[in-house]
Formats: sequence, structure tokens, C-alpha cells
Amino acid sequence: MPEVLIAPLTVEFPFTRSLGPVQSAFLTGLRERVVLGVRTGDGRTLVPPVEYDPVTAEEIRDLVEVAPTGTVTTWAWNHAPRRDQPLNTPFAWVLVRLDGADTALLHALDAPGPDAVHTGMRVRVRWAEERSGAITDIACFEPYDDSAEGAGDTAEPTAHSGEFADPITGIVARARLDYTYSPGRAQSAYLGALAEHRNVGERCPSCRKVYVPPRGACPTCGLATSEQVEVGPRGTVTTFCIVNIKAKNLDIEVPYVYAHIALDGAGLALHARIGGIPYDQVRMGLRVEPVWTEDSRFPDHYRPTGEPDADYDTYRELL
Amino acid sequence: MNREIAVVAFAQTDHRRTSEELSEVEMLMPVLHEVLAQTGLKTADIGFTCSGSSDYLAGRAFSFTLALDGVGAWPPISESHVEMDGAWALYEAWTKLLTGDADTALVYSYGKSSPGPLRDVLTRQLDPYYVAPLWPDSVALAALQAQALIDAGDTDEPALAAVAARSRADATANSHAQLRGSVPHGDYLVRPLRTGDCPPIGDGAAAVILAAGERARELCDRPAWIRGLDHRIEAHGLGVRDLTDSPSTRLAAEKAGAFERPVDTAELHAPFTAQEVVLRKALSLDDGVRVNPSGGALAANPVMAAGLIRIGEAAAGIHRGESDRALAHATSGPCLQQNLVAVLEGDPR
Repeated sequence: MPEVLIAPLTVEFPFTRSLGPVQSAFLTGLRERVVLGVRTGDGRTLVPPVEYDPVTAEEIRDLVEVAPTGTVTTWAWNHAPRRDQPLNTPFAWVLVRLDGADTALLHALDAPGPDAVHTGMRVRVRWAEERSGAITDIACFEPYDDSAEGAGDTAEPTAHSGEFADPITGIVARARLDYTYSPGRAQSAYLGALAEHRNVGERCPSCRKVYVPPRGACPTCGLATSEQVEVGPRGTVTTFCIVNIKAKNLDIEVPYVYAHIALDGAGLALHARIGGIPYDQVRMGLRVEPVWTEDSRFPDHYRPTGEPDADYDTYRELL
Repeated sequence: MNREIAVVAFAQTDHRRTSEELSEVEMLMPVLHEVLAQTGLKTADIGFTCSGSSDYLAGRAFSFTLALDGVGAWPPISESHVEMDGAWALYEAWTKLLTGDADTALVYSYGKSSPGPLRDVLTRQLDPYYVAPLWPDSVALAALQAQALIDAGDTDEPALAAVAARSRADATANSHAQLRGSVPHGDYLVRPLRTGDCPPIGDGAAAVILAAGERARELCDRPAWIRGLDHRIEAHGLGVRDLTDSPSTRLAAEKAGAFERPVDTAELHAPFTAQEVVLRKALSLDDGVRVNPSGGALAANPVMAAGLIRIGEAAAGIHRGESDRALAHATSGPCLQQNLVAVLEGDPR
């Protein structure tokens, strides 16, 4: 078995998300160092606030301001913070019920160690210095000793219009995930042979079709392909298109031709660029061969062989 | 329409930390062939095919379309896919069979967690406004739930360690399991959860065949009849929920008829030890019920397949004559967010 190919793969997705009126008021409020909740029909105050009652699904819009202090309802000590988490030193994850709220908010608590954290402890918001209207405008919570001031638990939320200058109407939720990509057995074997300038497909044991590139299974029979079959190197253009728009990060002059090519012996066509011939002279049936550049793991493009064109009947099933 | 539907075959891969030498369809195909071989069916005989998987796990866009190659999906077959655990794919297939549109269904699911940082990948399923920007990983959220249970007096760390030890001891009889036998309980990963309280991260796949009525009796000596199947979800705000209870599990179980008569076996999808405590409470399971004789998700937790495997294991116990009435549970999301309950029975012996 050839060695397993692996490569780093980074996936990044900056989702742009619009906000409903309640979310907009809450996140804008955080920017202004105000924590808002929303009242439900049965008089509970939800923090963080949502657009619809989680029990009745009723639309809820009645905003109130709650205190930036609260009580830990449960916690978990994170001794090894991970990338993008709120603090890069060990911290406690906490659910905090802010004074005046009936539900709890998830965030981080900056504490010296797990012995300094317990359910029921009093905490207060530590605001981020730079705030943009995001949950991370709360940098974290910190322990808060209010025994001298009397318990804040009785604080009543006060009505709030939810109106601020320059409200936030959307967020950009950036995310990055780092993977290690491995293409599996069939594709590793294909890529390995290709690096040696050979096109090796795989044959279905039942219908005998040769797949190039192989993906490990015959989609008609649902069986594993395993018998390796060298095909090409020459092939026939079965169909093509003329590309007129230059692709980003691609150093190829337009117009150029991108074609389906049935390699000799293959049961389906693969696709590649056609070069070495003016774009307006490429035609169905044109016989082509791969052009390799030095040290390349795959053909740069295909060019005409100079043979007579193939008969339509020889490739009509491979369009 | 009142058709009887049964699980007539079940297969799963050996679940492993990595399967980097195989693509997803290469990992999946042997279990597809195994369930077909158990029934003597060919892919062309299957009336409906439904799968569950998530492209986020391996970072491969539209990977489920490549996986379809393994079922012989060309020319086009009647099929569907859910971006959920395969237990929910089974739910869709069950409803399809109930309508009479098909007599047999192939349900499969797979997950390759090894290519990505699973704890971080799973944060992407969370509320994108208030929670996901904080990147609270799957272990952290389970740890918050565990601490809430400890504070409520429902469990303690030694009791959680005992759940882990029992699960992995039972898994010694399960050759497919990833963690078996004596496994050190380890250090805190996110306190109060230790490594032993957490499921192994790994790759795996599973497949089930459903059949209706007489067709089920033709294909299986002792079909596992689905007497009820229901799924329910909690409010999405973690701070809105009571993390020490699972009302959605209880309601799904009630709708599935789980409380009408006692079950002898329960396969619970509790990836973290503390979640078994929550589920036992929600389902009112007493000590007479065998819980997770397979070892459960603490022994093998291929994400997107582990819930379907609970149904498969419960059904296989009935096929073998070791169980007469079993409950299977699957979960999805953080802290038992969404829960599915199936009740399975064998014909009287």
C-alpha cells in the first residue's frame, strides 16, 4: 500500500449575520456597557435576551436593564484555554444569573484557580476596553465581594427603550478551523502514480468501468474498485468550453479552453486545460496528450498530438 | 396507515482514533455491504436510503454526496440526507416506510472526527450570536452540566468514575469499541470532568436496514419491531435550561410509549458520564434495566453515528434473543440539547 498522503487544510468562514431587534439592542447595549434583558409574558426576565419566548414562542420585545453583577449558577475549570476562547490564562467557564435576571449567561470567569470558584459566588462584568457590539464586549467576569453593600440579588430590572445611537444591525461571525486532509486509499494511489507521470484508474469488479480519477467506489454498483488500470497518456476531447474571465490567483491568459478529456482506456472523462492550439480551433474529437512541467505532481495542460480526430462513436458514451 | 416497521440488520465499523488511510466512502462501504449481506438484499432492492453526517467534522464540503457512491446511487435512487446523527436519518426512513412509499430502507451514518479539532469544530453548532464567539468547547459545556448535577446532589466524582469504569468493562465484549477494559480515569480535562469521563474521539460508521411487515419477517428471524419513535428538543439557551434534567428525553420517551411497560435493556447515547445520570433520571430507569451493555458512547463515540449505533445495538440484542423490549436513545447538540427515543420489541419467544 502506498504511503498515506496528508496535507494541512484550513477552512475559514466569515458568516455575516443580521440581528433581530432584541439581539440588536442587547449587543449595542454591551458596546455602551449596559446589559439588557427581555421580559416574557409570564414576567420572567431572560438574559441574554431572545426574540421569541422559549416556552410559548410568543414574540417578545419588552426590554429591561439588569445589573452588571450576578451569581454563578454552575462552573467548570478550564486549565488549558484553547485558541479564540475569552482568556488565554486558566479560567472558569461560568453560567451567571445577573441580578434582576431569571436565566443565566455563559461566559468566562477570571479567577486565580478552581479553589477560588464555587456555585453561588458573586461576580461582576469586566468590560473589554474596545467594544464593537458583540458578546466579547464582556471581556469576562471577575469575582466581586459585595457583602459590604448588601446583596444585589433583590435588584429589580428597570424598563429600557433599547434605543441607542448608531445601533448594531449585524455581526460578522468569523471562524477558522484547521484540519489535516487525507484523500484515502484510492485517491492516494492515483496521486502517487500521477506524480510519476502515470494515469492509473481503478476498475469496477462488476460493471468493468474504469474510473479516472478513482474515488474508491463504483457509484453504479456500490462496490469497491481495486484493480488498478493504467490509462492514457493520450485521450480525446469529448466536450469543452472557452473561459473568458480571468480567475483570481491564476496566471493564465484568457481566453483559454477547458475540456473534458477521455483518456484512452478510461470509462469516464476527466477535465483539464487545453494548450498549444488557438482557443478557437479546439474541437470535439481532438486528440490530446498531457504536458508535464518539471517537478509537477500533475499535468500542467493537454496539447494536440497531431493524430486525426477521433470518431464521435468512439467517445459518445463519455461526454 | 398502521404498518409495523422493524430493524432487521445492523453493522458497524471498528471505531478507531484515526482512519486516515481511508476516505469516508472507503470507511463506510464495508458496513453497507455487511448489512446487505445479513439480509441477502442488493442495493437495487432497497426502497429508500437515508444518511446522516456532517461535513464540518472532516472539513470536506458535500462529503455526503461522495459517500453515496458506496450505495450505488446511479442511476438515481430514492434517497435523503440529514446533517444530524444517523438516528434522525432512521427517523426519516421510518416515516417513509410508515407512509407505504417503501418496504425497505437502508440507513447509514459516518463520522471522521480525526482530521479536525473536534472540541472546537462542535462549537460551530452553537448560537452564533451569544455563544459561538466564545468558542466554548464540547467538554467545557459537558463539564458545566456535570458541576450542576454535583451541586444538586445528583452525583459526585466517584459515581461518575464508576459509570466510566462500568461502560468500558462492558465494552470488553464489544470488539468494535475503541476504549475497552481498564482505562485510567486520568486528570481533569475541564473540571469536574476527567479524561475518563469523556468519550474517545474517533472515526466510524454504522448502517441499519429497516423493513415493513411481512418483508421484515422474511429478512430476519427475529425482527426488532419499532413500537414507538419520537424526538424532542430543549430551548437553545443553555442558561434557560435546567441542565440537571432532560424534559425533552422524558417527553420523547412518553410519546414513544417507553413508560407503558418496563424495558429490559437501554442503550443510552451519553457521551459524558454525567449525562447518563441525567438520562437515567429522565427515563426513570431502575437497577433492573441493563444500561449500555455495548459500552455505550464512552467506549466508542463516532460523532454522527453513535446515536444510530444505540438503536442498532438495542435491535441486535433483540435479534440475538438477549432482549425482548429495549429502549434506544440518541442525542444531538450540547448538554443533551435534542433527544430521540425508540422503543423496540421482539416477537414473543
